[in-house]
Amino acid sequence: MIKAIIIDDERNSRDIIALMLGKYCPQIQIVDTASDCNDGISKIKQHHPQLVFLDLEMPDGTGFDVIQGTQGEAFEAVFVTAFEKKFLHTIRFSEVEIILKPIDKESLLQAVQTVSRRILAEASKHRYKVLLDNFNNGKHTSWNLLLPLINGSETTIPTNAIEYLESATDKCTFYLEDGAVLQADRSFRHYADLFIPLRFYQVNNTQMVQLSHIHRVLQDSQHILLNSGVQLEITERRKKDLLSFYK
Amino acid sequence: MSRFCFLLLFLCYSTGIFALAPAEDTTTLDLAALPASTDMRFYIYTLEEKDRQPYDPSQVPQQSFTANPRLFHQGKQNNQRAHAFWLKLSVRNTGTMDSSLTFFTGWHDYMYWYAAKPGGPLTLVSKAGLMLDKGDVDRWENYGFPVQVPAGQTRVFYLHIINKSYNENTLMPVLYNALQFERFRNQQMTTYRAEAVVIQVLLGMLMVLLSIAIINYIQLPDRSYLYFAAYILGLILFFALRLESKPYQLSVFHNWPMLKYYWDIPALLFCFYLMYLLFGNAFLNLKERYPYMEGIFTIAAACTGGIIIVCMYCIAIERYHLPRIIYSYVYLATLLPLLLIFVALAKRSRHHPLVRFFLLGSVCFYAACLGAFLMQIRPLGLTSALGELSAPSMLMITGVLLQAMFFLAGLSYRNKLAHHERTKTQEMLIKQLNKNKELQRKLNEQLEELVKEQTSEILRKKQELEEQRQIQLDIEYDKKLTEIELKAIRAQINPHFIFNCLNSIQLFVMQRDYEYAQKYLSDFSYLIRKTLDFSRRNFISLADEITYLNTYLGLEKMRFEHKMEYDIRLDPAIATAELEIPAMLLQPYVENAVKYGMTNPNQPIGRLTIHFRQLPGDMLECIIEDNGIGINRSKELRTLPKHHQSSGMEISFNRAELLNKMYNSGIHIEVIDKSSRNFAESGTIVRILIPQL
Repeated sequence: MIKAIIIDDERNSRDIIALMLGKYCPQIQIVDTASDCNDGISKIKQHHPQLVFLDLEMPDGTGFDVIQGTQGEAFEAVFVTAFEKKFLHTIRFSEVEIILKPIDKESLLQAVQTVSRRILAEASKHRYKVLLDNFNNGKHTSWNLLLPLINGSETTIPTNAIEYLESATDKCTFYLEDGAVLQADRSFRHYADLFIPLRFYQVNNTQMVQLSHIHRVLQDSQHILLNSGVQLEITERRKKDLLSFYK
Repeated sequence: MSRFCFLLLFLCYSTGIFALAPAEDTTTLDLAALPASTDMRFYIYTLEEKDRQPYDPSQVPQQSFTANPRLFHQGKQNNQRAHAFWLKLSVRNTGTMDSSLTFFTGWHDYMYWYAAKPGGPLTLVSKAGLMLDKGDVDRWENYGFPVQVPAGQTRVFYLHIINKSYNENTLMPVLYNALQFERFRNQQMTTYRAEAVVIQVLLGMLMVLLSIAIINYIQLPDRSYLYFAAYILGLILFFALRLESKPYQLSVFHNWPMLKYYWDIPALLFCFYLMYLLFGNAFLNLKERYPYMEGIFTIAAACTGGIIIVCMYCIAIERYHLPRIIYSYVYLATLLPLLLIFVALAKRSRHHPLVRFFLLGSVCFYAACLGAFLMQIRPLGLTSALGELSAPSMLMITGVLLQAMFFLAGLSYRNKLAHHERTKTQEMLIKQLNKNKELQRKLNEQLEELVKEQTSEILRKKQELEEQRQIQLDIEYDKKLTEIELKAIRAQINPHFIFNCLNSIQLFVMQRDYEYAQKYLSDFSYLIRKTLDFSRRNFISLADEITYLNTYLGLEKMRFEHKMEYDIRLDPAIATAELEIPAMLLQPYVENAVKYGMTNPNQPIGRLTIHFRQLPGDMLECIIEDNGIGINRSKELRTLPKHHQSSGMEISFNRAELLNKMYNSGIHIEVIDKSSRNFAESGTIVRILIPQL
């Protein structure tokens, strides 16, 4: 049995999470619920749960405040929210599980499965540190990115060290400015969606470049030259688009 | 004084008279009893100097003298040559008294009077002559030569006469006693004085004319005045010198007796031809009016100039007769051509007053000259008359005066014409000026018109531009509005709200509370539909807004159960169906009130009031009030980075501003924290003023 707590400001939300967990995940035992942050923190400290379902926005704070306030506790968190956009990068870059409302069975099952595995493996809680770092870092010139590598290990890199990333079937390869190459256990599409708002540009179907690492766009050929000397192919349409970026 | 003595002498001695005797070598006279005057023609022997070599006085007694009474003549005579001869007179006084008589032969150029005892040598007693004597008025006394013969004695007298001029004055030897000579002298003086007076009067008049001409020329520098002045000056000199040849008169030129040979013909040519022609040329302005005639005049003037020079040369070589001959020919030769010229001028410019003046003057003089000439032919004969062409008779003087006066009148008229012309020119100038002014005015008007047109064109274009700009602005506004609409939709259909609503519905379904689920679902659908609808419109009725807010608040209340209450109060005077307010303006403030209204730990139940009131001046007031922690604290509490997402309130505020810009609607939004008014209270008041358009 996994001890769990639900923290949400809406009763309907708490009810439905509890209802669905009871129905589909019988191994999870709801020990308590809380309707705001302060309540949640005290409940966690009281029950020492292994798993916490956290609402993101509550009247007296956010789910991150709860994690911040309970740093001594060793629990895995699953965020439950109606709308994740505000905290998309904060959550996704730290590889913390998230379920969107209204909750569907599959995502609930998958999230529970992932965190259950981590709980069993007593996995590192490093991701929550990354999460809090990203949350507290107000300026966001660079994010911390927790990369799950294909060998099962994890590593954390700053996003501004990324030169470009490349699709490798259902995986994604990261090329860093110091020459390191990392194989992430996530799809290229997963990262592409996340990186687009962060001044990255997809130069072709399989490669995405951080704009600050482009040395120049070669006029007479379909290539761009990076600061490291690497040349990447760029399609005609995207070249024009990219150039208009700089105008 | 001397004359007086002479007179006394004459009274004392003139008692006898000459007895006429046949011509013999010696004239025997009783000098005590002479007749009044004795014609000596028959007592005088003459000797002509045929060749150019004059006799020496010492040779003369040896020459044979002959009696030649024909040599003498009354009046002028043209000798066709210079005339030099000797007269010999022997007188024996048969009386008892020494006698002194006067021998007079006339006025001649050179006269030398010699006396000799019979057989003795000649002694020059006296000399006289028009060309010789430089003395003043006394010189005229020298022409009577003294014949002094002691009683009972015989004396021989010789008179050498040289006349360089071809026209010889009266040559008639007469012997007077003192009384008789005095009488004769007085008679002569009277005669010539009359002539001199005429000439002097003429000179005076000419002087006046000259002054007028010069004054006029100074006033109005016209060349014809100069010519006229030269013409008059020539006449003045001519007549002044004429005075010189009048016996017993005195002219200023008596010091230069030779002058009369220089001046005469050249002066005439100068005055009556050269200056006349030049004057006519300038006066009639022939160069423009009658170029052909101008040619003739110029050529004639040049010829005259040439002739004058030739005459001067002749005079210089002492061929005094030649200028006279030349002048005669010139005069005769020009008689007909002048007439022709007059006719031509008269024909050519018949009605021109200037020509009339010129012609009248010219014809007067022409006729006077011709008349004077013809009148002289009768007494003198043709050749003598030709020689006397230059002599001024009364007729000619009249002609000259008339001509000068006509010319002067013409000049005056010319002045008048010039004045007229000037006046006319000035008038024309003024007229032209006026015309120019008029033209300028017209031009200005046209210009103004043009400017006006262009200005209006520019204004029109400006307006067009303005309109286009307005359109552009409208488009811009539309675009912005659309953006804001989208943002409004996004903000108003708060994803949290939507998905939480859906979550609630999901719960009801799972709990099998179908009725509740149904109600929740239909309310939610209504809200979504209205949101999509209203966000596309700028204005909706107040009734619609109230229904919308009611539905929204109902759903929120369902979410939060008993943690919130709301109340919408409406002034009964407000016609909600007619009154229009900007769509989706209030919702964000209401949503905010819901969100923060329930965060007050001191207030277990969030209380929300919306109050619509009609204010004076067609103003709708809407007050959204909650009992939450207040806007200030809630801002502090917002842990989210500020840039993260613009709040619904901000969007509403922007929207109100945009609407204000677009419709001048004057919407006013005011957000007040209750604690700032009263420390005990908490919560937020949003006051929105919407003017009714």
